Amino acid sequence: MGTYIARRLLLMIPTLLGITLLVFSLVALAPGGIGAGLQVSGGQMSDTSRVMQMQAYLEDRYGLNDPVIVQYGRWLAQISPLKFGPRFQRSPSGAWVRPPRDLPEPPLQGWFPAASQEAVANAGTAGLAAFDAMKAQDANDRHRALQRDSEASRRAYVGTVRATREALADWARANDRKDLLDAKGAADPARFEGMQAVPGSPSWDALAKAAEAMHVARLQAIERAAAERASFDAQPYPSIGLPLIPGTMWLGPPDLGVAFSRNRPVADLIAEALPVTLLLNLIAFPIIYLIAIPTGVLAAMKRGSWFDSASGAIFLMLWSVPTVLAGVLLIGFVANKQYLGLFPVSGLHDTQAENWTFLPGAGTRGWLMDMVWHVALPVTCLVYGGFAVLSKQCRAAMLDNLSADYVRTAKAKGVPRMEVVIRHVFRNSLLPLITMFVGIFPAMLGGSVIVERIFSVPGMGTLILQAIDLRDREIILANTFMIACVNLLALLLADILYAVADPRVSYE
Amino acid sequence: MSVQARTKGFLDASKATVPLLSVSDLAVSFDNASNPGGPRIQAVAGVNMTLFPRQTLAVVGESGCGKSVTAMSAMQLIPRPPGRFDRGSIRLEGRELLTLPEHEMLKVRGGEIAMIFQEPMTSLNPVYSIGDQILEAILLHQRLEMTQAIERAIGALDEVGIYNRLKERFKADALALAQGKRDLLDEYPHRFSGGMRQRVMIAMALACQPKVLLADEPTTALDVTIQAQILDLLRQLQRDRGMGIMLITHNLGVVAENADVVCVMYAGRVVEYAPVFDLFENPMHPYTRGLFSSIPGLHDMRSRLTTVEDVTNDPAEFRRVPGVVPWWPHMDAAARPALADAREPYILHQIGPQRWLGCWRTPDLAGHASPPPSLDYRRPD
Ligand SMILES: Nc1ncnc2c1ncn2[C@@H]1O[C@H](COP(=O)(O)OP(=O)(O)OP(=O)(O)O)[C@@H](O)[C@H]1O
Ligand SMILES: [Mg+2]
Repeated sequence: MGTYIARRLLLMIPTLLGITLLVFSLVALAPGGIGAGLQVSGGQMSDTSRVMQMQAYLEDRYGLNDPVIVQYGRWLAQISPLKFGPRFQRSPSGAWVRPPRDLPEPPLQGWFPAASQEAVANAGTAGLAAFDAMKAQDANDRHRALQRDSEASRRAYVGTVRATREALADWARANDRKDLLDAKGAADPARFEGMQAVPGSPSWDALAKAAEAMHVARLQAIERAAAERASFDAQPYPSIGLPLIPGTMWLGPPDLGVAFSRNRPVADLIAEALPVTLLLNLIAFPIIYLIAIPTGVLAAMKRGSWFDSASGAIFLMLWSVPTVLAGVLLIGFVANKQYLGLFPVSGLHDTQAENWTFLPGAGTRGWLMDMVWHVALPVTCLVYGGFAVLSKQCRAAMLDNLSADYVRTAKAKGVPRMEVVIRHVFRNSLLPLITMFVGIFPAMLGGSVIVERIFSVPGMGTLILQAIDLRDREIILANTFMIACVNLLALLLADILYAVADPRVSYE
Repeated sequence: MSVQARTKGFLDASKATVPLLSVSDLAVSFDNASNPGGPRIQAVAGVNMTLFPRQTLAVVGESGCGKSVTAMSAMQLIPRPPGRFDRGSIRLEGRELLTLPEHEMLKVRGGEIAMIFQEPMTSLNPVYSIGDQILEAILLHQRLEMTQAIERAIGALDEVGIYNRLKERFKADALALAQGKRDLLDEYPHRFSGGMRQRVMIAMALACQPKVLLADEPTTALDVTIQAQILDLLRQLQRDRGMGIMLITHNLGVVAENADVVCVMYAGRVVEYAPVFDLFENPMHPYTRGLFSSIPGLHDMRSRLTTVEDVTNDPAEFRRVPGVVPWWPHMDAAARPALADAREPYILHQIGPQRWLGCWRTPDLAGHASPPPSLDYRRPD
C-alpha cells in the first residue's frame, strides 16, 4: 500500500505538469495573449508616454515579452517547491521578500555603447555605500525604503528602454527604413545589429537623447539594485523554507504569484475567498448527503412504492431547474421586499454584524443567526439540484445488493431486516458511492460561479470569474493548479477507500 | 381389500416418532409481474412432505417445480409481496411456522432451521471476514461471551474440515495450529475456493446446532470430488446430531447415495413419495419413470436419449400403476377419468405401505382422507 501511494504521488507530478501546461497554453492562445488583462486601454488617454511606460513596466515585471514556453518555465519555477537562488525572507506583514532581479540589457549597444565596466562597478560601490549609510536604521524601514527606490529606478529604466525603442522606430520612419520595423510598426533592435550608426540623419538627435537617458537610468537602477541586494543579503527578515545548498537551492512553499489585476498576492486573494466558499459548501454538502442517501436507501427498500416514485420524481424535477432560474426566482419572490422579503438579497453578513454578539441577544439576532439567515438562499440554490444523482446512485447500488445471494444468506441466519439492510446491503453499496463521494473535495474548493454571482457572494466562484474576465493569468493558473492537486489527491483517496471498503481490492 | 382400508393400516404403522418438519397442503403463489391483472403464478400448489430426525429427505424434480419455494417457505424467506401463502401449513415439531410473527421467526431462522444454498461463490458477503459472518450467526442465537463464540466458530469450521490442511502442516506445533485457526477467521471469502466456501456456509449453518437443515442444491456448483466430500460431511454431521436434512437436488446419483426418502415434485405438487431403494427399484408414477429412464446408461448405445416426455406421453405408462390413475396435466383429455370433485382433482394417495403417488381424485377415491406422506424410514448403514 505504501509503495502504491508513493508511486501514485510521483505520477501526479507529470499529470500536474500536463494540466498546467494545457491551461497556460489556453490562456496564451486567448485573444490578447497572456498579458491581455494588462493591456492599458489607450482610448482617451492623452499622455501616451505614461501609458507606454506603464506597459513597459508591466511587461518587465511579468516577463510578458518572453516566449510562452519561457514564461511557463518561469511560472513552474515559481510554483515549484524546489527553488534556486537565495532563500526568500518573510517581512513582519507576512509578505515574501525576494532578492532583486537582474536588470535587462539595454538595446542597440552597437550604436550607443553601454556604460563602461568601471562605471558599472562604481554604481555598485555607490549602492553599497548608500546601504552602509542606512545601516544604523531599523532593518524593516531600511529594506522597504531601498526596495521601493530600487523598484522605482528599475521602472524608470525600463520606461527609458521603451522610449528608446520608440525613438528608434521614429528614426527608421524618418529615414525611410521601414524594413527595419516589424509588422506592428515597432522597432526590432535585433535588426539594427551590425548597422553603422548614422549621426546627423533626421531624428538622430531625439534618438541619441533617449539612449543617453536610458544609460543614465540604467546606472541609477544598477546602483539602487546593488543597495537593495546588499540590504537583502544582510537578512533584514527571517528566511523561509528549508536550505538544501545554502544560497543556491532550497525547499519552499509554492508561490502562487501576484495577481495582475489587483496587484495582490494570489494566495491572499484565495485565503479571502476560500473560507466563504467552504462555508457555503460545508453547509450544502452535508444537507445533500443526509437527505439523498437515506432517501435512496428507503426508495430501494420500498421499491415501486409511492415513496420511491415520488422521491424520484421530485428530485428529478428539482435537478431539472437551472440554478440561474432558481436563484433569480428566489431573489425575486422570497427575498424581494415587495413580495415575501424573508431573506436578504445578497452578501454574507449584515453590515452591523461585526459588532453583534455571536449568539442572539442585546436586541440583535446575533452573528451566527445573521449568517444563517444570509446563507439560506445561496445554500438552497447549491443544494436542491444535488439530490437526484446521489439518491438514484444510492438506490441503484442498494437494489443491486438487495437481491444478492449473501443477503439471502444473512436473512437465513436470522439477521433482523434492518440489520440486513444496514450491515450487509448498505455496506456493499458504499463501493459505488465512493467515487461520487471524493468528487466533493474539488467541488468544495471550486465554488459555484452561478450561485455566488447571483447572490453576490465573494467566494472562489466570483474570484475565478473575475480573473477570467480580466484574463488574470496568475489567479486562473493558481486556481487550476489548486483544484487539479485536490482532484488528483481525491482520486488517490478514492482508491485507498476502495481498498479499505472492499477486501477484494488490493494494491500489493 | 379396498384402497381405503389398506391406507388406514399403513398410517398407524408409520407413526413411530414425532416428525421434525411437516409440510401439509402448502400452496404458494406469486404476483404475475408481466401481466398484473392476470392469474397469479402458482409456484407451489399443495405440497405434502414430512421430515423426521436423522432423516435425509431428497426433493427432486425439474427446474421451476417449486422445490426452493417450498424450502424457503419454511423460513418465511419468500418475499411477500409478490409472494403469498395461499393455504397449508408447515410445522416444526408441531409449531406452525407460516404464521409465526417476525421476531419469533428470527429465532427459528438459523437457530432451529438452517439453510445452505446452491451458489457458494456468491452466498458469502464479500466485505466481511468468514469469522465475522460465522460469529454473526452464533451471537444472534446464543448468549455467549466473545471468546466463547470464537471458540464455537473455530469448532464449527473444524467440524467441516476447513482446518485439515492446517492440521497437517502444524502436526507437531499445537500453538502454531491454534494461531493458524484463529488467523483463518480473518480471511475474506474471496480467498477461498468454491468447495471451501461451501464448507464455510455449512459451518455457518450448523454453528447454532439447528434441528433441520435445508440444503438447496448444496453441491450443484462443485466438482464431483468436492461434492462427495461435502455430502459425506453432511451425512456424518447428521448422525452426530440427529439433524433432519431436506436435500434438494437434480442429481439422481446424489439421491441414490444419500437419501433416505425421496419426494419427486412436478409443477408445484408431489407426484411420488417413497423410500429411496423402493423408488429406484420400482418407480411407479409415469413422471418418475420418465425421470429415471432419461438417465443414459454406459452400455446402451442409442442415437437419442429418452426424455421425460417420451415416457409420460405414452398412455401405456399410466396403466402400469396398480389401482389408481396417476395425476398428469398433459394426459390425453379423452383418457382422463371422471373426477369426484372438479375443484380439487388432485390428491397424494398412499398405494402401498411406504409409497405415495399423485393421482386424480376419481369417484373411487372420493372419501379418501389423503393424509400427508409420512415415512419414518432411514436407510441401513
Ligand atoms: N420472487 C418470485 N416472484 C415470482 N415468481 C417466483 C418467485 N420465486 C419463485 N417464483 C416462481 O416459482 C416457481 C418455482 O420456483 P423454484 O425456485 O421453487 O423452483 P425450483 O424447483 O427450485 O427450480 P430449480 O431447480 O431451478 O432451483 C418458478 O416457476 C418461479 O417462476
Ligand atoms: Mg431452486
